[in-house]
Amino acid sequence: MNATAVETLVPILGSITEVREETHDVRTLRLDLADSEEAESFTWRAGQFVMVSVFGAGESALTITNPPAQKGFIEVTFRQMGTVTSALRRLSEGEPVGLRGPYGNSFPVEEWRGRDIAFVGGGIGMAAVHAPLWDVLGNREAYGEITVMAGAKTVADLVYRNEAGRLRDIPGVRVIQVVDPGGEEPGWDGEVGLIPQVFERMGLSGRDTTVVVCGPPVMLGFMLQATTRMGTPPSQVITTLENRMKCGVGYCGHCNVGEFMVCRDGPVVSGEVISQLPNEF
Amino acid sequence: MEQAGWILDEEQWKAWAGSLPASGCRVIAPARGPRGEAAFTKTDDADQIARGYPGKTQMSPKEFLFPRSETLFEFRLAGNTVTLVRPPRSDNKQVLIGLRPCDAAGLRRLDEVFLQDPADEAYEHRRNQTVVIVEACTEATPSCFCTAVGGSPGGTEGADLHVTRLGGSGRILLRAITQTGSELASAASASWARATEADFAEAGDQAEAVSSSIRRQPLPARTPELLEGSFEAPEWEVVASACIGCGICTYACPSCSCFDIADTGGAACGSRCRSWDSCAFGEFTKHASGHNPRPKQSARYRQRLMHKFAYFPSQHAGQLMCVGCGRCIDLCPAGIDIHQAVLALAGAARAAHRGADEGVPV
Ligand SMILES: Cc1cc2nc3c(=O)[nH]c(=O)nc-3n(C[C@H](O)[C@H](O)[C@H](O)COP(=O)(O)OP(=O)(O)OC[C@H]3O[C@@H](n4cnc5c(N)ncnc54)[C@H](O)[C@@H]3O)c2cc1C
Ligand code: SF4
Ligand code: SF4
Repeated sequence: MNATAVETLVPILGSITEVREETHDVRTLRLDLADSEEAESFTWRAGQFVMVSVFGAGESALTITNPPAQKGFIEVTFRQMGTVTSALRRLSEGEPVGLRGPYGNSFPVEEWRGRDIAFVGGGIGMAAVHAPLWDVLGNREAYGEITVMAGAKTVADLVYRNEAGRLRDIPGVRVIQVVDPGGEEPGWDGEVGLIPQVFERMGLSGRDTTVVVCGPPVMLGFMLQATTRMGTPPSQVITTLENRMKCGVGYCGHCNVGEFMVCRDGPVVSGEVISQLPNEF
Repeated sequence: MEQAGWILDEEQWKAWAGSLPASGCRVIAPARGPRGEAAFTKTDDADQIARGYPGKTQMSPKEFLFPRSETLFEFRLAGNTVTLVRPPRSDNKQVLIGLRPCDAAGLRRLDEVFLQDPADEAYEHRRNQTVVIVEACTEATPSCFCTAVGGSPGGTEGADLHVTRLGGSGRILLRAITQTGSELASAASASWARATEADFAEAGDQAEAVSSSIRRQPLPARTPELLEGSFEAPEWEVVASACIGCGICTYACPSCSCFDIADTGGAACGSRCRSWDSCAFGEFTKHASGHNPRPKQSARYRQRLMHKFAYFPSQHAGQLMCVGCGRCIDLCPAGIDIHQAVLALAGAARAAHRGADEGVPV
């Protein structure tokens, strides 16, 4: 969809057509646009986000989690946090939502061709790595080894836990699930530890691997240190910023980090760009 | 280019300006309130429209293009069907009269924000309906510093028509700056005397005289670049230590453009509004998780200043996002003076550079 096609701050209408529980507080929704022409022309790139409206509650920025090849509908995965996400959680199949977007830049998946890629997500951060992961897997032979590392506080908090089997069936894809110490359950066969430490122990070639990592700011900081030690150039460490935003199109003044406007210049950034930004994210 | 201008006497001026409402325009003028203070208000009163005012208004006129709060749409839900209803838009011409040069320059800064691609349709619509008549300053107040940021008490930036009340003579120089301005004046201008070179020169001298009464120091060259490197400077704590985060500076400012979007009403019907917001507020950047990228008031004050004097200029060919109206200086309950603050920061950055150049530890 072209962002200028409608009044910029007025959403187009859609509805929830599927609800999937991921964890006790994370849910995935499939959203379909009400107008079939609008649905037809709604295209996006992996990494872009939409502003989802719950009428009466407000709007939230949510990453589109399904890959662009799945035309016609979008999926979002959200954690229940405050006003809007709680209201979104109260909605069930068939109920209406509003959508604006897609907004923002995207992951440079084309530039990764031929490289190994590690997708690392902490908690709800998995939502942000989901679209580029499946975008890359849609073109499997163009890329090298794929590592997926999904982490959470506890086993019950792992987002997309049920997808691990499907991923492992794809040749050249390794899946590692990590929970914080104390977050394991009897019979847990995944890793226990902190994501950056487990990641560093994996023996990946720092130089040949592009690292896509999304998660809480603290985890990002430690991942940047870990990848530096592993010899990954900062330009090959890619993440997303999640500054609070209202409009998504560069007017409202909420999301800037120095001159960098997360809504327009981001949300996808490389470690190289991050190192030049003032510390306000 | 030959300047188009006319000399009007007070009667002619009042007859023309005062007749704008009758010609179907919505006229916003610096009308005097009960205590004599001027405030931009919609009025049909010819006296109020034509009389002029000293100094500047307390609030800028930005709300007539960027309202304090406006409805983006109303929604109605019936079962699973939503209907969005846009508020009606007026197609009447709006005339903003008596803006100071800094006020009009402030509107041009708002244009940079709201008329980018994609443009904000509500703003763009109002902008296209609006004609701006600037009235040159005849005096500067102690907080004025337009000349320090590239403006002038006689400036025409953002003006369609430009008025100078020629010193005590009762003669008014009216200049058409844009095609839109000439068109607004065209019905009456045939009967007005053409201004001469001498009249233009007199207006120029008058602006010059007001300029030289502004005692505030110009900003150093390359202020944006100097500030750019001062993000971590200890001076921020000093200049911003008194800030209580009330946001008054941002509300009074002619160029502050930040807003919030919020829904009101219930699940069955309600509306989505956009309202002025302020980077001075802690909630402005606070994530739902509680994480706040600008946890301290000094970081929030730094954002306001850096946005106006470093970030915006770097994205808009060096244009500052402060027009030097001094309103935030007049109104700040904590006594913070933005002009002094910029000078302090730019000065410190320059000293640090010099120190670095000379190999002195800084
Ligand atoms: C580009 C981008 C992509 C995102 N993708 C996802 C995602 O895929 N899944 C997910 O669970 N979360 C995502 N988030 C975070 C999500 O937008 C917030 O958690 C959500 O808006 C919180 O809203 P709330 O009303 O529930 O919380 P409240 O605290 O009640 O927030 C009130 C308002 O603040 C704003 N706000 C608060 N926190 C944030 C935040 N972190 N980011 C942006 N706006 C915020 C919203 O405008 C919201 O309407 C993303 C944020 C950004 C900027
Ligand atoms: S920052 Fe202060 S002086 Fe500058 S334009 Fe805004 S209100 Fe006027
Ligand atoms: S008016 Fe003064 S105290 Fe209030 S937010 Fe602005 S700088 Fe801070």
